[in-house]
Amino acid sequence: MTTEHTATGKPYVHYHAAHCESGVTSAFFRDKGVDISEPMVFGIGSGIFFGYLPFLKAAGMRVSTFRSQPGAIFRKVARRLDGDFVVKTYRNPQKGMDELRRVLKTGQIVGLKTNLYWLPYFSERFRFNFSGHNLIVLRETKEGFRISDPTLEHPVDCPAADLERARFARGPMESHGYMYYLKSVNPHPDLRQACIKGMIDSCNLMLRIPLPIFGIRGIRFQARKIIDSPDKLGFNEACRLLADVIRWLEDTGTGGAGFRYMYAAFLQEAAELLRSAELAGLSEEMTAIGHDWRKFSLAATRIIKQRKQFEQTFAEAGGLMHGCADREEKFFKNLRKVAGKMKV
Amino acid sequence: MEFEDEIFNDGLSKAYYKHNDNGQYVLEKDAPWAEKVSVALIISSRRALLEEIRKEVLAGRKSPLCYYMEMRQLDPGMLAKAAGIATFRVKRHLRPEVFARLNPSVLDRYTKALRVTLEELKTVPNG
Repeated sequence: MTTEHTATGKPYVHYHAAHCESGVTSAFFRDKGVDISEPMVFGIGSGIFFGYLPFLKAAGMRVSTFRSQPGAIFRKVARRLDGDFVVKTYRNPQKGMDELRRVLKTGQIVGLKTNLYWLPYFSERFRFNFSGHNLIVLRETKEGFRISDPTLEHPVDCPAADLERARFARGPMESHGYMYYLKSVNPHPDLRQACIKGMIDSCNLMLRIPLPIFGIRGIRFQARKIIDSPDKLGFNEACRLLADVIRWLEDTGTGGAGFRYMYAAFLQEAAELLRSAELAGLSEEMTAIGHDWRKFSLAATRIIKQRKQFEQTFAEAGGLMHGCADREEKFFKNLRKVAGKMKV
Repeated sequence: MEFEDEIFNDGLSKAYYKHNDNGQYVLEKDAPWAEKVSVALIISSRRALLEEIRKEVLAGRKSPLCYYMEMRQLDPGMLAKAAGIATFRVKRHLRPEVFARLNPSVLDRYTKALRVTLEELKTVPNG
């Protein structure tokens, strides 16, 4: 926690968060006086998801995402909590930067979608060519901009040229200077209904998309791919595939085990809010699913490290992933029933 | 120190949700082992590839453009978009003999897209 201030001198408190977009959204609401934690934002915004997109490559990595598409969490949370928000994209970088400066001068904090590679304050392990990192700009300074990146512990400085570059980087999933901010919020939002809406939406996303690459079906699809991979691609390429999955599962700001722990934390908070013992039970189930994902990532890592004494095979790793799919299917069916009962 | 500890020792810790003893979730800063290993694998393979390309450029089999493209983690399609040059032309420019004959306006576009100076773009770091 670090205290900063915006262009008009209004204090702003920086919180450390696991995930960029839910951290940014939570910071927006806290800035407007609605104290809402990061897991809560993640749950209300229906962040939990799975999708395997082998045709889309970010810097040579096959994408398997454990969250809904970038931008969705903010929009959904703002809508479900009665927030008035602005979302804009630009073709012309100059216009995009001018507009950012104009909005910052009014004392508003602004969220941006940027490319991770071009942000200078990150070290090598963060920097890969992926346009989907969210951050908050607090104010303009002499050298550039003061930035509150929720994935880091403290606010940082970023030169204007680098920020422009990061906003308008070309490639897959271009952000086109994507910029968003909250104009106003309802000071007493109906958190209970918002939670229930978020849960039901998540269940539908995980269970009811009739395409083989999304939701539970997607997990099974990827598990089959992993089992087949050493025969089809050869050992080294199969290891790359596994490393890509682990990176999306553990590294890309997921808070551990592909957002599953964060979702369990949300269910814990929701159970207190809605006074429901069933939700508390489901939160524990989600924690157990998170442990299963962790087991999968450990097994996969052992294959990569080639620690022979453990004798892990691709079939076992794929089997663990199938196990996660089965448990999640049951979990989301239960959650659908519990949330459906509470809906008014 | 092992390679994965080395690259994670940069003072920029991320947050992770962990179950504490009371069954509550709290934020912690230790990166899980699986993350360290997979990131180390990705970074080391990227460095190895870059080194290989550098040697090929020095041997005259690839153009320096190829090296800088890989350094910025781009592929020909992405570089083409960033520089405003057709993809098939970018692919052609990866050949050293074609690259050597490029006129300054095209090189200028590449220097802007890749953010390197003109002198840098014509060679690769030696040794």
